[in-house]
Amino acid sequence: MTGFRYLKAYSPKTEGQVHYETEQQPDPTPICYRFLIRHIMNCEVCQLKELDVEYFEIREVLQCILHTIFFHRALGLVRPKDIDLQLFEITYVQCGDAELEKKVDEKIDQFIDKVEKHPNKKNQICLSFFEVKNKQATWFTHKVEHLYWEQWYININVAQHPKPISGKSHHSKLVLDPGESASEERNARRATLESSLHEVLFQIIKFVNEKKDHIPPIPNMEGVSFPYEITISSSSDSAFGMDMFKRMLQTGHPTMLS
Amino acid sequence: MAVNPHSEPAKMEQIITEFFAKSLHIILESRCPYVSSRNYSGEQILYSPSSSASSSSSTRPRDKWFNLALRDCPAALENIDFWRQSNLEPMVVDVVLVQRPLNWDYTSSSPNPRVAFERNSSSKDRFPFVWKSDSDEFGSDGSTEKIIERWVVQYESKKGCKEACSGSKRSSSTSSHALYKKSILLLRSLYVTVRLLPAYKIFREINSSGQIRSFNLIHRVSSSVEPLIRRDEAEMQQFMFTPVETSCDYVGSPLADPLKRLPSVPMPQYSPSSSPFGRRHSWSYDANRASPPSALPSPSPSPTYSESRTLHSKFGNHPHPHPHRPPTSSSRYPSLEIAQVHNKDMGYDEYVPSPNFSPSTSPSPPMYLQGSNMLKVLLRSDSAPVYIPTSRLGDAPLSSNKTVLPFSPPHKGTRPCLSLLERSPSALQGAKLLKEDHSKPSGVKISSNSSPHKSFSRSCSRLSFEDSYDDSEFSGPFVVDDDELIDHGIGSRPGSSDRSGNLGTPHERAVGALVQMLKKAPPLQQDLNRSHSQKQIQIQDPPPVAASNMAASSSRVSPVKTTSDALEELKVYMDMKQLLLRQSGKS
Repeated sequence: MTGFRYLKAYSPKTEGQVHYETEQQPDPTPICYRFLIRHIMNCEVCQLKELDVEYFEIREVLQCILHTIFFHRALGLVRPKDIDLQLFEITYVQCGDAELEKKVDEKIDQFIDKVEKHPNKKNQICLSFFEVKNKQATWFTHKVEHLYWEQWYININVAQHPKPISGKSHHSKLVLDPGESASEERNARRATLESSLHEVLFQIIKFVNEKKDHIPPIPNMEGVSFPYEITISSSSDSAFGMDMFKRMLQTGHPTMLS
Repeated sequence: MAVNPHSEPAKMEQIITEFFAKSLHIILESRCPYVSSRNYSGEQILYSPSSSASSSSSTRPRDKWFNLALRDCPAALENIDFWRQSNLEPMVVDVVLVQRPLNWDYTSSSPNPRVAFERNSSSKDRFPFVWKSDSDEFGSDGSTEKIIERWVVQYESKKGCKEACSGSKRSSSTSSHALYKKSILLLRSLYVTVRLLPAYKIFREINSSGQIRSFNLIHRVSSSVEPLIRRDEAEMQQFMFTPVETSCDYVGSPLADPLKRLPSVPMPQYSPSSSPFGRRHSWSYDANRASPPSALPSPSPSPTYSESRTLHSKFGNHPHPHPHRPPTSSSRYPSLEIAQVHNKDMGYDEYVPSPNFSPSTSPSPPMYLQGSNMLKVLLRSDSAPVYIPTSRLGDAPLSSNKTVLPFSPPHKGTRPCLSLLERSPSALQGAKLLKEDHSKPSGVKISSNSSPHKSFSRSCSRLSFEDSYDDSEFSGPFVVDDDELIDHGIGSRPGSSDRSGNLGTPHERAVGALVQMLKKAPPLQQDLNRSHSQKQIQIQDPPPVAASNMAASSSRVSPVKTTSDALEELKVYMDMKQLLLRQSGKS
């Protein structure tokens, strides 16, 4: 995605061009491609730091991350709800929209389900925000067009064993007081995850702060998020993250193909 | 967004003002330990213990701002009302952890000022935490305190907008809609961030265990940035939210120092413009013009750093002179040009007659506030305000050691002074002074006799100040000014309905009279027309530059902190928490 970022920097919208003229290098992109690029470009992508979680932590971690993102993307009137995680000393915020909570939980169920069926894989959840454009049907596009403007990739690595860190030494060593050391280990691991999760949350905050220009106008609704979708993929899937991209191309604006 | 269909500048102004209010609300809501709910009384106090997600609570206008409905937080309300009068000065919120000796007797040890204030606040101890700081800082009761967070919210006049714009692909000019949207985003992330910082844990701890009397969290809101103690500073790390551009249509002013910048903005208004009192007014011009107010709350860490940062960026822009400026400056402030073009240091001085404003890092400014307040009190017939000053006096001692604020903005002095001018006839004597820098001169005088003071924070009864101070400010524009658009905009602002309405008070009439007098003063009349006023603002920019220099010189460079630092800090807080728990166990 870095490539796109680069391009983005140099393909201003028309109205912005004035400013670029003086201070930036000329747009190296051939004019005929600018349209295409702009459409892809306007989709910002955020890859969140990978988290090593244990099975029982999945739900809470995902709730925390997803809701934190949504809180920044449900720009209607919200009454924030503070949620304290049970497993970690972290408080995150929901936007108090029951519908949204339900959807998130459903997706998490799906994810957990998938993890159960296919262990040993890296898993990724992609939360995408798009604009819906009604387009006249053409030979290539659907009637309703999804213009993706943002994607968040949540990378979760589910440990297969409760004690992934000591996996190797586990077999060879006999520990005198397994109970104590195990709990120490668990605590250490928990602390690590907690700080990683913390980092991820700040990653979200920073992203939200730095990228504000691509966000479409706030729809006239209350408390509801921009249109979104949550997709789940795992490392064995061919593209692992590329599927979204492909879909984007398929549903993209017709002009990009011309 | 409930904004009247008035001019963009007016909307922008509203948004910016409300942004400050909301920021403060968000911060204090998660930092002020609840007093028991019974202490909350009165209209705005509908405290609901749980984050009222569902509660039937009808949506209040305040909630609608930025689409974020918050819990009531009396402390925030009080402070913000006070801040509103300060006309876009930076808002600095310090969150302070106070440790009291276990045997501390809260009532008996309180110094008089506090008591007075308490009474004044009408509701028994609505804000015990807030003002306790006064006494604490005396150290008389043996309590110790530590600043654990510092938030700085400020409106920056921008550097060259070109630069700014180049950063953002879309907008060539920021509409009020875009500004609003971005503000929403910033506030959302602020809301989340506030809960992720270590201080939040302390807040929770203190909140949940009401019996921990030995620790408390208090806050101080002020408009000046006092340097942190070195130790504190070293322990802090900085996070800066990406500023939101308000507008970049014009080539921005080369303001450098964020701190000073704010002040500078108001100044223009007074000076050349037709309405010396119309700060707000002029301010809005500014916003519209280009002024790129960026609201950037920087959490915890010392503001100094952030500022210096900004500084740099701004300096870069200096080179771009405003096209308009030359004319203006020539007409009114010849010196300004100079200042602008080359001399960052001198710029300030030139405008400002008073020595205090000189670029030097000398600390005197903080005093003004107090002085002015006192003066106000004297001038005012209101009984309520009387208490406030008293409490302030009480503060003064504590701040004395901090007197030397490199940044301490002269403007502070300015404001209060201004109000003085409006109010007291005697102030008028210095008509000339006024023209150049209306408020400052007087401020200086006043300040000299008052002890240094830093913050008008805490909970000062806002109402009382509001009518005296705020009204007059507004009335200025109404009386004198021909630009109605903006006035309307202001009046219609949803969030601040309280301040808008009162045009006809005696007070205002008095102000009107003053304004008339000012009008007659030769210097002021020149600039009655609008075009001038616009130019003027730009002219005024230079002072900030000078200020920035000062800032630059005085500010220290902070080492970049890493996540590991953060973790360490977190550990420290964990320890602290343990300590707290232990303490609570004992007590």
